[in-house]
Formats: sequence, C-alpha cells, structure tokens
Amino acid sequence: MEQFLQSIDALTIKFTLAAVLLPLLAFVLNMCFGARSNKFTGWLSTVAILVSCVLSALIFSKVWNGHQVHQQVLWFTIGNTSVYTGILLNNLSVLMLLLVSLIALPVHIYSIAYMRHDSGYSRYFAYLSLFSFSMLALVVADNLVLLYIFWELVGFSSYLLIGFWFTRDKAVIANKKAFIMNRIGDIGLLTAIIILFAMFHTFDIEKLFGPDGLVGKSSFITAQIEFNGQPTRFESVWILFASSGNRALPAIWQYIAFAGIFLAVAAKSAQFPLHTWLPDAMEGPTSVSALIHAATMVAAGVFLLGRVYPMFNSTELTILAVVGCFTAFMAATIALTQNDLKRILAYSTISQLGYMVMAMGVGAYGSSLFHLVTHAFFKCLLFLAAGIVIHQMGHIRDDNNLSIDPQNIQNMGGLRKKLPFTFIAALIGALALVGLPLTSGFLSKDSILIQAFEWSGDKSVFLKLIPVFALITTWLTAFYVTRMIVKVFFGDLRVAESTPALKVHITDGTWLYKVPLALLAICCLFPFFSANPLVYERSWLFGGFGNATNPEAVNIYHALVPVGVNILSILVIWYGYIIYTKRRANPFPQTGALFNLACNEWYFDSIYQRIIIKPLLALCRASFWFDRRIIDNFIVFFAKFSIGLARLAAWCDRNIIDGFLNLLVITVRTIGNFVRRFQGGKVQYYLYSMLVVILAIFIWIILDGR
Amino acid sequence: MISLTDFMMVSAGLFCIGLYMIVTKRNAIQILIGIEFMLNAAILNLVAFGKFDRLNNGGQMFALFAIVLAAATTAVALAIILNVYKKYKTIDPGQIDQLKD
Repeated sequence: MEQFLQSIDALTIKFTLAAVLLPLLAFVLNMCFGARSNKFTGWLSTVAILVSCVLSALIFSKVWNGHQVHQQVLWFTIGNTSVYTGILLNNLSVLMLLLVSLIALPVHIYSIAYMRHDSGYSRYFAYLSLFSFSMLALVVADNLVLLYIFWELVGFSSYLLIGFWFTRDKAVIANKKAFIMNRIGDIGLLTAIIILFAMFHTFDIEKLFGPDGLVGKSSFITAQIEFNGQPTRFESVWILFASSGNRALPAIWQYIAFAGIFLAVAAKSAQFPLHTWLPDAMEGPTSVSALIHAATMVAAGVFLLGRVYPMFNSTELTILAVVGCFTAFMAATIALTQNDLKRILAYSTISQLGYMVMAMGVGAYGSSLFHLVTHAFFKCLLFLAAGIVIHQMGHIRDDNNLSIDPQNIQNMGGLRKKLPFTFIAALIGALALVGLPLTSGFLSKDSILIQAFEWSGDKSVFLKLIPVFALITTWLTAFYVTRMIVKVFFGDLRVAESTPALKVHITDGTWLYKVPLALLAICCLFPFFSANPLVYERSWLFGGFGNATNPEAVNIYHALVPVGVNILSILVIWYGYIIYTKRRANPFPQTGALFNLACNEWYFDSIYQRIIIKPLLALCRASFWFDRRIIDNFIVFFAKFSIGLARLAAWCDRNIIDGFLNLLVITVRTIGNFVRRFQGGKVQYYLYSMLVVILAIFIWIILDGR
Repeated sequence: MISLTDFMMVSAGLFCIGLYMIVTKRNAIQILIGIEFMLNAAILNLVAFGKFDRLNNGGQMFALFAIVLAAATTAVALAIILNVYKKYKTIDPGQIDQLKD
C-alpha cells in the first residue's frame, strides 16, 4: 500500500512538472522559431496550456482533500546549510494550479483571434507562455527562494506584456511604473525571506508554515537582556524552542518580516499604497489584462498571504484587514467616476483584491481564496467581453474615420443588439461581480462579509467600521457595474448621435471569441462551486480549507447580511438603471470635492508625484550635480594631473632616455659611415688614404720634431 | 754642376707624378704607367746615390736589376689587366669593387 501510494505520488509529481514545463517549452520554441506572423505559434502555446490544464485537473483530483504531496531534491549546499528544492502540492497549490491553467486556456484561445492582425503575434504568445510557466511554477514551488525567483519572473513577464506595444509612450511609461512598483514589493519579499532564514535556518515552506511548522512554534516572550553580564532591561523577543536548539531574535524583526511580506503583497495585488500601477497596466492588450492584471498574477499576492498565513499575529492581521478594507472602498469610489472601460474594470479588480486581503485579515482564510477563484473567473470574463467591445468600437472608428477613444464608455451604448452574445456574457460577469444570488460572486462575497461581521463582534468601534465599509463597497460596486453595463449595452449608440450616417458592421466574432466567453460564463454560475446557491459553507471549495466555521453555527449575520446586501444591491442597480437609461451624458454634477477626489483617483498619483517622485528626482539631480561637478571634476583634475605627469614622463623618455640612446646610435652610425667609406672597394681610394695617413704621420713627426 | 739635390728633386717630382696618376686615373693602364714612373724615380735615386757607394757601379747594377724586374711585373700586370677586362668589360679600377662590404 505504501509502495502504491508512493508510485502514485511520483506520477503526480511528474504530471506537475509536465504541466509547469510545457508552457516553458512553448515559450522557448516560440522564441526560437516564431517567425514574425506565424499563426502556428498561437496554437502551439494554446496546446501547451491545454495539456497543462488537463494535467492540472488530474493532479487536482488526486490531491484535493487528500494527503499533500511533497517531493524535493538537494539544490545546493552552503557551509552546513543544505537547500532543497521541489514541488509542494496541497489544497492551496493544486487549486491555484488548476485556476491558473483554467483561466489561461480561454485567454489563449481568445488571444488567437484577438491578436490575429498584430505584427508581434509570435512574441505575444511567447510572452504569454512565459507568464503561464512562471505563474504555474510559482504556485507549486516548495521553497521561498524558488518562490521568489518565480515571483520576479511573473513580474517580469507582466512587464513585458504591459509594454507589449512598446512603440506607444503610454505603454512604456506604464510598464516602467508597474515594474518599479513591483520591485519595491520584491525587495520587501526578499527582506522577509532573509529574516525568516536568519531565524529558522530553512527556506522550506512546509517546514516553516506547515501544520506543525517552525513559524507556528515560535512565540513572543519578554526577556531580560544581558549586556556585558549585567541584566539591563526587558525586551520583547521572538523566540523558537526547537529540538535542534533554541533561537531568538528581537521581536522587531518579526514585524519587519511582516512589513516585507505586506509590501510584496501590496505591490503584486495592487493594495494601497502600491496600487497605482494596476490601472496604468491596462495599456497592455486586453487579453493580457484579463489574464494577468485581473485573474492570476494580481492574485499572487493573496496566494502569498495564504502560503505564509501562520506567521501573522493578531496585530498584523488587523493591519491587513484595515488596508484591504481601505483599498476596496477607495478603488470602488474611483471606479464610480472613470469613463475608460478598462480603467473601471482595473479599479474594480483592485477593490475585489482589497476584499481578499481584508478577508485574510479577518481570518476568513477559506473565503479569501474562494473569492480569489470566483473573482478570477468573472473578472476575466468581464475583461474579455470588454476586449470585444473595445475591438468593435475600434472597427466603428476605423470604418467611419472618426477620432473617438474606443475605450470611452461615453461613446458606447446600445451594443446589446449588435453584440448579443457578449452582452449576455458580460451581464453574467457583472452580476457575479455585484454578488447577486445564483452567481459564484454571491457565495464568496457574502462569506467574506459574514465573517468580517463575526470577527468585528468583539473588536473596538474603529475596527467595527471595517465590515461596514466592506458593505458600503458592495453597494458602490453594484452602482458602478450598473453604470458601466448600462452605458455600454443599453440605450442607443452615442457615437451615432453626433454622426448620423454611421456605418456599423460589428458582430460577436468567431467561435474563438465565443468559446472562451461561454466557458468563463459557466464558471461564474453557482453550480460550479456549490450545490446550494445560497449557503456558502456548502461549497466544496470552502470546505477544502477546513475552516472552523461549521454550517450549524448560524448566527444573526448569516441571515441578515446576504438579505440586506442583496436587497440594497438590487435597489442600487434599479436606481442606476433608471438614471443611466435616460441617456443623459452626465446625470450627476461633475463638480464637488468628492467627485474630484474620486475622478482624480484620490490624487494618489499626484501625491506620489509630489512627495516621492519630485524629492527623488531632486535628489537624483543633486546627486547628478554632485557627480558631474564634484566627483567628475575631481576625476577630471586627477586625469589632467595624470596627463601632465604622463606628458612630463613622455618628454623625459623621448628627449633624455631616447636622446641618450639616439646619441649613442648616431655616434656609432657616424663612425660606421665614416669607416665604411674606406671600405668602398675602390683600390685607388685605399691608396689615397694610405697616402694621406703617411703624409699626416710625416707632418706630425716634422711638427713634433721642432 | 749637377748636385745630388737636383737628382733628388727630379726623382721626387717623378714619384709625385706617378703617385698622382695612380690615385686619380680611371684607367688601369695609366695607373700601371704611374707605377712605372714611381719605380723609375726609385731607380733614379739608386743611380744618384751610387756615386757615394764604396763599390763602383753598385747602384747602376741594382738599377739594371730593378728595370728588369719592372719589365717583368709590367708584363704580369698587363696580363692581369687583360683578364680583368675579359671578366668585367672595363679596366676602370673604380668600378671593380666586388670586394667591398
């Protein structure tokens, strides 16, 4: 039996390796052999991700709610520390594995049609495969260093895809911004990993955060510190009593590690204060926004929280809850006022990610991951639908030589008649986003809200505001979603009002567009997650994370919250529908401090511009000035001094040392030349010289004799 | 009365003329003539100094020997010149310089 289980595990590991490495293979092949517009490349990537998806489903069925599979090999040894690397498959990682491949598959299919006419077709699919590979590897990595590597790689492929149309200035600025923001988070993650290693001497996720991991065993105690043998003061110490020896660090390091993890999560999952890159990241192709910036990569932060969950203490969890709630509320208010279709969805994504982080903070671990999964499906669906709408608006613009922004919802309207399929898909996605009953969003969102209320029961007044704001955010969500859907799909096409003779030939597109939408739309409905559309505890996904909440412990919130939320949501939707179907351009006054606050995205960009970027640029300029004026001048002076010295040396060399040698040479040559004249082979000359010499001797003798 | 000094002067003049010819002429035969001049200057000295010899006519005898030897050397030298001419097609000693470095 043991033998049998081991062979099954080995097979599972092999499947996982194949599922992770296939997209990498597709990336390498596309990079090596992808011609500029080779249609084959798209299918290659799609087939790779399809096989990955099937394998992921197999792995999922084996591991989900079963025993976890963990296999590792020795990676490297430094000193006495051996670092192992391998694959860790538990409920969390197989769920993410399946989710990522399941979302990536429709996006790949959709992209084949969506990017058909792009000159960078092969490059696009190569990047997409690279992203799929790094994301799949990220979720199965069993060690923090490996996790960090793929964390970086995911950020890098996101950078490549945001700047996919690198000839557009805005895309280049956006991908730079995303990359820098993510770097800040990466540094946080690295710091946290280093601190954890310093404390626990291992990178292994299971050893650190597993059911009986080291992090869980460590604790805080107040101890007296000895300094030079003298007891001085009491200090809080982070201590671990382990069989291999006790280890301790000052408690502050635990908080620094938390801050690092938080930064990493905030950067990847676009939480306040590092959220500003995500709306700008919409400069990439819409299919990329759907896959990376709505469904999978931005969820990596929440996934990381899930991985390292045992290390947080109650203070830290509260910080997470506050930040998540604030982000959710802020992003929802911003989404109310935006006119760019993709920007609305981006802020909606930030808002929903805020929900997930908040859920982690209030201890609703299972609900957070549940919402992560449901959100991935409906947000991906909404983005793909938005992609079709933008594509078709682009067609209208090109057919009629208009100069409109195809992403501006003020120009749209009435598209439900032209794009019926897209309309239905978007409607399902929107209802799931609002969280109306019978959709997956209802289950996950209500589970978060109910647990937030339960959590706040014995907390201070300030913390009681968290579930309240989460509730308000739900209604804000309902409103902006209604606004978006009504402006895009209801009424009449707004462009047609200014241009009466408008030619509109638009359709839902081929099956390449329809199949992914249909697939995702089905995944947005309740039967995919739970047999009972109204009680989230019955969901298999929620059960997979074995939370303490059991279905019997029904309190007042379990009835009140869903009913209250949904009745008000429906009222809000009805109100929004009434307002926006009147088709006035702006039913609300476009003035006021609150409107400006929301419309300018809470001035975060200008605040960062003023507080961080400007001083930073000033510092850069100062350093540049210092570098140019002082260091460079010193170096230039030094160089000039050296040149002078060298010139002097050269002069000495040329004139004195060389001169001496030249003098020697000239002397020798002169003597030689003088002497060889006598050896000219002319007999008479010899005689003549003999004569001269003899005469000279005679004259000398005569003169001497005097 | 012709004194020894006069003989010496003539002899020295002959010698210098011969020497000059040897050094300056571009023709081996003329150089040979110069050599003969110098030889004759020496012979003249022999004859002139013979007057102060204790033996009678010793100087004349030597002069005769020297003349004969000069004739022999001239014959040999002319033969050499002929051979040189055959080899180099010239008898200018300035152009026969194969011995130089």
